[in-house]
Amino acid sequence: MASNNTQLNLQDMQFYNDRTPAPKVDKKVLNKMIWRSCNLQICFNYERMQAIGWLWCMLPGLKAVHKNKDDLAMSMAHNLDFLNTHPFIVTFVMGLVLSMEQNKMEIPTIRAVRISTAAPLGGIGDALFWFTLIPIVAGMTCGMAISGNIMGPIMYFVIAFGVEMVLRYVLMYWSYNLGLEAVNMMTANAKEFTRAASILGVFIVGALTANYGGGTTTGIVFENGESPIVLQKYLDTILPCLLPLLFTLLMYVLLKKGWTPIKCIFLLLVIGIVAGVFGLLGSGYDPLVPVPWLTSVPEAATAMLF
Amino acid sequence: MFEVILLAIVTFIFAIDQFSLTEIIYRPMCACPIIGAILGDLNTGLVLGGTYELMMIGSMPVGGAQPANVVVGEVVAMIFAVKTGMDIDSALGAAVIFSVFGTYVVTIMFTIASSFNSWCDETCSKGDDSGVRKSVIADVLLLGSLFAVIAVVAYVAGSSIQAAMQSLSENAAWFMAGLGEAGKMMRFVGFGVLLKIMLANDMWGYFLMGFAIALIVGNTPNLSGAALIIVAFIGIGIALSNYFTAVAIKQVSANAATEDFSDGI
Repeated sequence: MASNNTQLNLQDMQFYNDRTPAPKVDKKVLNKMIWRSCNLQICFNYERMQAIGWLWCMLPGLKAVHKNKDDLAMSMAHNLDFLNTHPFIVTFVMGLVLSMEQNKMEIPTIRAVRISTAAPLGGIGDALFWFTLIPIVAGMTCGMAISGNIMGPIMYFVIAFGVEMVLRYVLMYWSYNLGLEAVNMMTANAKEFTRAASILGVFIVGALTANYGGGTTTGIVFENGESPIVLQKYLDTILPCLLPLLFTLLMYVLLKKGWTPIKCIFLLLVIGIVAGVFGLLGSGYDPLVPVPWLTSVPEAATAMLF
Repeated sequence: MFEVILLAIVTFIFAIDQFSLTEIIYRPMCACPIIGAILGDLNTGLVLGGTYELMMIGSMPVGGAQPANVVVGEVVAMIFAVKTGMDIDSALGAAVIFSVFGTYVVTIMFTIASSFNSWCDETCSKGDDSGVRKSVIADVLLLGSLFAVIAVVAYVAGSSIQAAMQSLSENAAWFMAGLGEAGKMMRFVGFGVLLKIMLANDMWGYFLMGFAIALIVGNTPNLSGAALIIVAFIGIGIALSNYFTAVAIKQVSANAATEDFSDGI
């Protein structure tokens, strides 16, 4: 995995070689991207979540705006950053990023704007779709299905999928044009804008560390008669989400030292399996080897805690 | 035989659909009638689909345990309901152990797919999109086939295999828990890469501030659902104020430079 000369160094990428703005992308390409956006989560994975799917959706647009081969390579490489957003409203981020790519903006700016837009939209999408639209549609159509009416599922599909596709379509065109209009503001003071975008990006990554990382907890509980000692509670009094913060910083330090992401993944894989053997992280299972602690609070004692 | 092949094919499609494609067809409301039509009992499909859908959106009290993975849950429950004539609650209950393996498959796939990233990194840096295309194909084939296998096992072996699956899942619990924990931690690598790109030495304060504000908002009961958007608004405020201050300083110093020049004359 050692980087060789033909491989571009992610850190060196600041500017595209060809910095003349490309002409406006035609509708055919945008529509192709809208259809592809259905496959945002196709290679969903733990490390960068929707990164590969995102690049897959963006490819038609990127190929249209980057005619220089090295620029296309750079663009593809940085569009593989960690990304997580809601699949039905991802086209908003796609349109915005495409307009920035088209104007050959500074690469750190594109990266920062992408993560700062995508992450907050994730939550909105869930609230809008799974917690609002789907319950309403299901409420209307489930009764029909249960009484044996085939129109129930058909209506359910048509409404839900229809709303989804309209959202994807409208957001794509809206944000693409919005991005093109905002370009003047972004490029007039490019240096200052890049710095402000990076500040927002760093701020959002800090927030993600707490918001997405919170699942990493220890389930270690020491039996202690009626008041078991719950290790995570003590950690939380030092700082909630302490483990996610420490792991993020560890990864940052290792990457700075020149570790490749894949090496970091293997390290975490080993840590995870070892944690499974000894019951160090997570809760509610029996570790492989007998250990002098439990991985979750015994049910009898749960009542005492609250 | 024909029935099994069709069942495997639709399970394959639902497995992909639960994350991609329409993200609607895999829902019990649409999937169960389709499976019902294949197994020759459309009506059971409609009833089970409608009932399961209402359970999922939380507007129907859940009797027993609910299947962990929806796709396996609906496919296996339909097989049991049609082939052995179980009622809906017991069919969904019998599907639970199968759906545990469905979530195992998802955990394993999300871990395997993490290794696709560096493969894509490498090919993309050469300006070649074949790595992305191959990753997509590999992911679809693996995920779909593994789910199809579970469906075929449930169809062929029926409920007789439940005890064996139960003990297998108990023995594998520590490993899958460890793998799941490793999976949850892998996003920290993604965060680390982002920080490496964006974090200048004087920006640590912004990172810690984002972390702290997310903790505060995330632990406030009425706000936790909208935590990220609220944090983003605060961040936009900070970034904009920084931007306009920097622009103002630039203009002031530009003006000062020209004044110095004219004074000199």
